[in-house]
Amino acid sequence: MSIDFYWRLPTHGCHSSIHRGSYDRGDWSPPGPHNIAPGFGRDQEEDGFAYIDHLAEIAKAAESVGFLGGLIPSFPNTDDPWVISPLLARETKSFRFMIAFQPGFGNPVHTARATASLQRATGGRTLFNIITGGGGPAQLWWGDSFAHDDRYGRTSEWLDVFRGVWSGEGFSYRGRFYQVDGAGLPALLREEEFPELWFSGSSEAALQVASKHADYYLSWLEPFDQLTDKFAKVKERTAALGGEQKCAVRVDLVARPTEEEAWRDIRIGFENVTDATRNQWRGQATDSVGAARQAALRPTEARRYEDLIVAPNLWGGFNLLRGGPALGIVGSYEQCAARLDELIQRGADGFILAGTPHLEEAWRIGEEVLPLLGRNASSLLQAAE
Amino acid sequence: MTISSYWQIDTAAEPRRAEPSLRPRLPALVRDRRRPSQNRFDYYAQLAQAAAQTGFDGVFLPYRRDADESRIVAAVVARAAPRIVVVPEFPASVGSAVYAAKQATTFQRSTGGRFGWAIAPDADAATRAAEGDDIGDDALHERTDEFLTVARGVHDRRPFTFAGRHFEVKDGGFDAPLNRLPFPKLFLQGEDEKALALSARHADVHLFRAAPAERLAAAIAWLGELAAQAGRRVAFGLIQPVLVRETEEEARQEAARGAAGEGALVGSFDGVAADLTRLADLGISHFVLSSTPSLEEGYRVGQHLLPRLHSLTGARRAVA
Repeated sequence: MSIDFYWRLPTHGCHSSIHRGSYDRGDWSPPGPHNIAPGFGRDQEEDGFAYIDHLAEIAKAAESVGFLGGLIPSFPNTDDPWVISPLLARETKSFRFMIAFQPGFGNPVHTARATASLQRATGGRTLFNIITGGGGPAQLWWGDSFAHDDRYGRTSEWLDVFRGVWSGEGFSYRGRFYQVDGAGLPALLREEEFPELWFSGSSEAALQVASKHADYYLSWLEPFDQLTDKFAKVKERTAALGGEQKCAVRVDLVARPTEEEAWRDIRIGFENVTDATRNQWRGQATDSVGAARQAALRPTEARRYEDLIVAPNLWGGFNLLRGGPALGIVGSYEQCAARLDELIQRGADGFILAGTPHLEEAWRIGEEVLPLLGRNASSLLQAAE
Repeated sequence: MTISSYWQIDTAAEPRRAEPSLRPRLPALVRDRRRPSQNRFDYYAQLAQAAAQTGFDGVFLPYRRDADESRIVAAVVARAAPRIVVVPEFPASVGSAVYAAKQATTFQRSTGGRFGWAIAPDADAATRAAEGDDIGDDALHERTDEFLTVARGVHDRRPFTFAGRHFEVKDGGFDAPLNRLPFPKLFLQGEDEKALALSARHADVHLFRAAPAERLAAAIAWLGELAAQAGRRVAFGLIQPVLVRETEEEARQEAARGAAGEGALVGSFDGVAADLTRLADLGISHFVLSSTPSLEEGYRVGQHLLPRLHSLTGARRAVA
């Protein structure tokens, strides 16, 4: 048994420190003397480096230390993973591009062709994080007016067509959302490996689609017992359909030589959170079940960072420091490795790890935490051998 | 009038080139250490670098349903070749207009604004059925119109709201920094009235197919009038295969072997440069040139034809 470890590419700029919320890498903040990769301006006044150059550094760091690749998230104000991946194809060697993607946004036949071409461009390094959207105003922003459960139905049909096109010529399909007559990939493209599918979504509708299509069922970090139940449920459901479901966790880490240093960095970061950030995270309209589970922690109302420690090495205020999920792991290198081992014992087969700043933390976690994995559970190591 | 030149990278042309799996194995005598990951993407990158090194302003990637996808190739070659503009062609059936526009912002931001958009002609009904594209013939122009309205709308305005028959957006539009760079230069095509009307409303450049000079002149006049009515200016371009050699005789010999594309201008470097200059006199400012084998011919055209073309059109400008 071996476990897949991915890193993450920050597609919305990055912070040079977990201590401060300012995006001083990339052009999400106005250009300043301390800003890295400020981008090309209309008048070309900046230094000629764009944010893609910084992302290239992170991807190269991740593959150097042994991560398989990285998740490339997609939200309204991010750069786009379908463009980032081919841009970085030729300057990375083993880095796998996990494209976060809402299937409804692209024609499935066209997307199959694009995916097979990207496989050819990268030597088979493409995979997907299939997302179905948070709903609410954000979906209409994207130009998508489908209701929550309809979107999952559409995702499921989209994947049927995508897979059908890949597997042969003359594929036809009659669904509610897609009808296809005699579709197929050209011969050269059809030889490419079908991309692995990592599937996100916590609702009943999401779990149904995952059990049919997903190679990995991906969850944000949740309290360990809750996550154990969720994984067990997903694995059971897929087993009932005669399949085997792998599960994966997306988790941020603050890993330091000592636990004391790790909490010190959390404390400083927490003390620098502004009211504007708190307000931004309050009252975000969404029909996403995963987002609601996270919001039950109410990190925006906490006054002391200690109030958000929900279990040993488990802290629930990460969204205040860098956006995204609330729960993350905080501790010494050994403690972080031990918590990850525990998650493996509870059913995790894969991880998407991240830390801020993404470049330096890829090196740190790759060099200091990954080598310690498996020590806390000799059974894991034996299984791996 | 400044002349812009683009070399065509056709993913479906020369299909066996740089694709080791489609060629006979080299004899065992030849030590071959190529890896499976080496394929046409290396060739595409080489073509783009060749175009950059030989003085083209950009490369144009036609949309091919039976070969590598144009926007994936465009991103790969843009990162590999400096300076040049990269113009992939794709149809308005690719999916969400918002999503396509958002992808364009990453491309522009990552390349310093070297991206163009060329909308491919609509496919026939059978092809559309094979692509799950459920739309009638009579709605195709309307969809392209809405696709372009939404794509430019979300780039340029916030909030942007649109309710059409094919696309719907509510309180959309990109925030900074996504739209810090301009929307990509938009290339449209087509010879009929509907196509010209669409270009008058949306296109930065309208690309004509190679045709006799009188027909081109008439189409240019017509589109110019439609654009003026819409209060816009549209630049005129031409997709023009060429076959050039040192002498006209050599070019003719080569064409007799079947090397010239349909409607190709065949002749000496000087002769074809003069032909293109006459087209420039009609108002054509963007030339999408093509010839195979793409690498060797690209070098030939870039090194010998383009300098002559620029020199002739530059002389006209000086006189004017």
